[in-house]
Amino acid sequence: MAGSTVEDALAERLLALPPSNYAPWRDRRAALDVIEREGLPNPRSESWRHTNIRRWYEAAGACPAFHEVPDNRETDFVSAADGICVEGFVNAGVAALLAEHGGLTSNAAIAPLAAMNALLLGAGVVIRAQGGCATTPVRIGVSPAEFQHLLIVVEPGAAVTVIEEPASYTHRIVQAVVAPGGVLSHWRRQAESDGRECSMVAVRVDAGGEYRLAQSSRGADLRRNDIQVTLAGKGATATIDGIWRLDGRDHLDNQVTVSHSAGEGFSRQTYRGVAAGHSRAILDGRIHIAPAADATDASLSTKNLLASDDAQVFAKPTLEIHASDVKCSHGATVGALDDMAVHYLRSRGIVEAAARALLMDGFLRDAIADEEGAQQLHLTTAA
Amino acid sequence: MSLLRIDNLHVSVAGKAIIKGLNLAVEAGEVHAVMGPNGSGKSTLANVLAGRPGYDIDAGSFALDDVDLRPQSPEERAQLGLFLAFQYPVEIPGVSNMEFLKAAIDARAFRNGEDAPSAVEFVTQARETATRLGLSADFLKRGVNEGFSGGEKKRNELLQMLLLQPRMAILDETDSGLDIDALQVVADGVNAFRSENNAVLLVTHYQRLLNFVIPDRVHVLTDGKVVHSGDSSLALELEERGYGWLNG
Repeated sequence: MAGSTVEDALAERLLALPPSNYAPWRDRRAALDVIEREGLPNPRSESWRHTNIRRWYEAAGACPAFHEVPDNRETDFVSAADGICVEGFVNAGVAALLAEHGGLTSNAAIAPLAAMNALLLGAGVVIRAQGGCATTPVRIGVSPAEFQHLLIVVEPGAAVTVIEEPASYTHRIVQAVVAPGGVLSHWRRQAESDGRECSMVAVRVDAGGEYRLAQSSRGADLRRNDIQVTLAGKGATATIDGIWRLDGRDHLDNQVTVSHSAGEGFSRQTYRGVAAGHSRAILDGRIHIAPAADATDASLSTKNLLASDDAQVFAKPTLEIHASDVKCSHGATVGALDDMAVHYLRSRGIVEAAARALLMDGFLRDAIADEEGAQQLHLTTAA
Repeated sequence: MSLLRIDNLHVSVAGKAIIKGLNLAVEAGEVHAVMGPNGSGKSTLANVLAGRPGYDIDAGSFALDDVDLRPQSPEERAQLGLFLAFQYPVEIPGVSNMEFLKAAIDARAFRNGEDAPSAVEFVTQARETATRLGLSADFLKRGVNEGFSGGEKKRNELLQMLLLQPRMAILDETDSGLDIDALQVVADGVNAFRSENNAVLLVTHYQRLLNFVIPDRVHVLTDGKVVHSGDSSLALELEERGYGWLNG
């Protein structure tokens, strides 16, 4: 492979890495194979059309993971309540779980990044909810590792809430498996940042299981979230609410796919975003319904506010339906704040800037139907 | 000094003259009704006083307590004590009624150099007032006007008026679309609000609200001008004879 481009040069460096002594039991071959075979995505790749991945390569290539042996106390950043089992990847005992659930993604657009994560990993944690309902949420805090991997296993009938607190990283994988009848509530808070980061959320929901995701994002210099939810068992459900508020030169790219591969599944995707300044917001939302997924009920809605002339919004909902008996809908809008609503608030003595802020807050909050999620994302109303 | 004074007001919308030389003076402690047929300029008058964008003041002036309102922004007018109950209150999903009301009360307190009421004081007062208007407790938690019935929207305007206690309240067709019970509630709210320290301008198409809120003066607006004024008996006469006889 010729090191003629940024991505080729980085791929060469990855292939030349010595074996990591972090979780040395891990088989690196699959990751090396992906990078050798696929190379790393370049800016011409369709799924990276709106995000210049070379800017992320700059950050990734400069990060200490290439040179340093990570600290082994990597589970510190996960705080869990009773009944939840937390184990680091340094413990070879998690090997079986990882082999079963933590495989590399098959999505070609992000598989090389997941492979990079496997090679540069500095913090790997398995979180297992083993039954019953955990009342205290599991909190994912700040780890110094730039490459992180969280595997969440919700065993049959168990229920757990996992909160990703604001934290900076270069790449984070959150993989989850929700066993039959299990419930995973996943709240993600992404704070304003001048960093460049990519994250990947891959969730499989088995029969009768439930996955609830609420994600609240501020902007970053570059922030990309690839979210893939597969409703693999009959009657599985997924509710995905995403909101964002961008300003300045913020860049946020959300790529979300919900795949219905079994019948009687239910999914709702609701997105609301505000883009101000020179910011850029991308939402590529897909619903995929496999031939076997009859009696599926799926929808996707995205509404965007453009709060300045220079902000950009790219909203693209896609449906791919291979079954005949389905209920499926999508909608996307981009608009400005309602002038009459602004005037209404001003006529009550609320100054214009405050009126606009109140309306934007309300617009975003309206997307999070899940009350617990809204509360955890600090989106509750004053009432 | 009149509480509200309008002199020779001319207003146009997109180049079309709507108000054509309107004069009106409302004193403290008074309730005035402005009546008139559709298209006579009633709502334009209400909106232009509140500072809604899109209206051009071509001539004339209007002042609240001798303060010229023309250069003031809508929020400054509100903070000076002007209140407009909207004919079509705006729905604002995601912003709770409570949050909205608190922001409005706090803005006024800030303007007056007063301390904002505590959350507890505010909630107590808002609940009491809502109850008085026949609105349930969960009403305050709902999005502003979101999914409210026509009557609830109008009562919500009254709720804001009672909490904000403006100097000058303008009610733009607050009576339209109300059943008789709701009309009575609105009228009770206006009567409770009336005092020597404020004034009310009722903009209405029909006489029936004036059975419950007896105005001190009634003005008939036709083609952008006040063509006739009288006491409360004028409203009854209009109900009987219509507006036609005033045009000749």
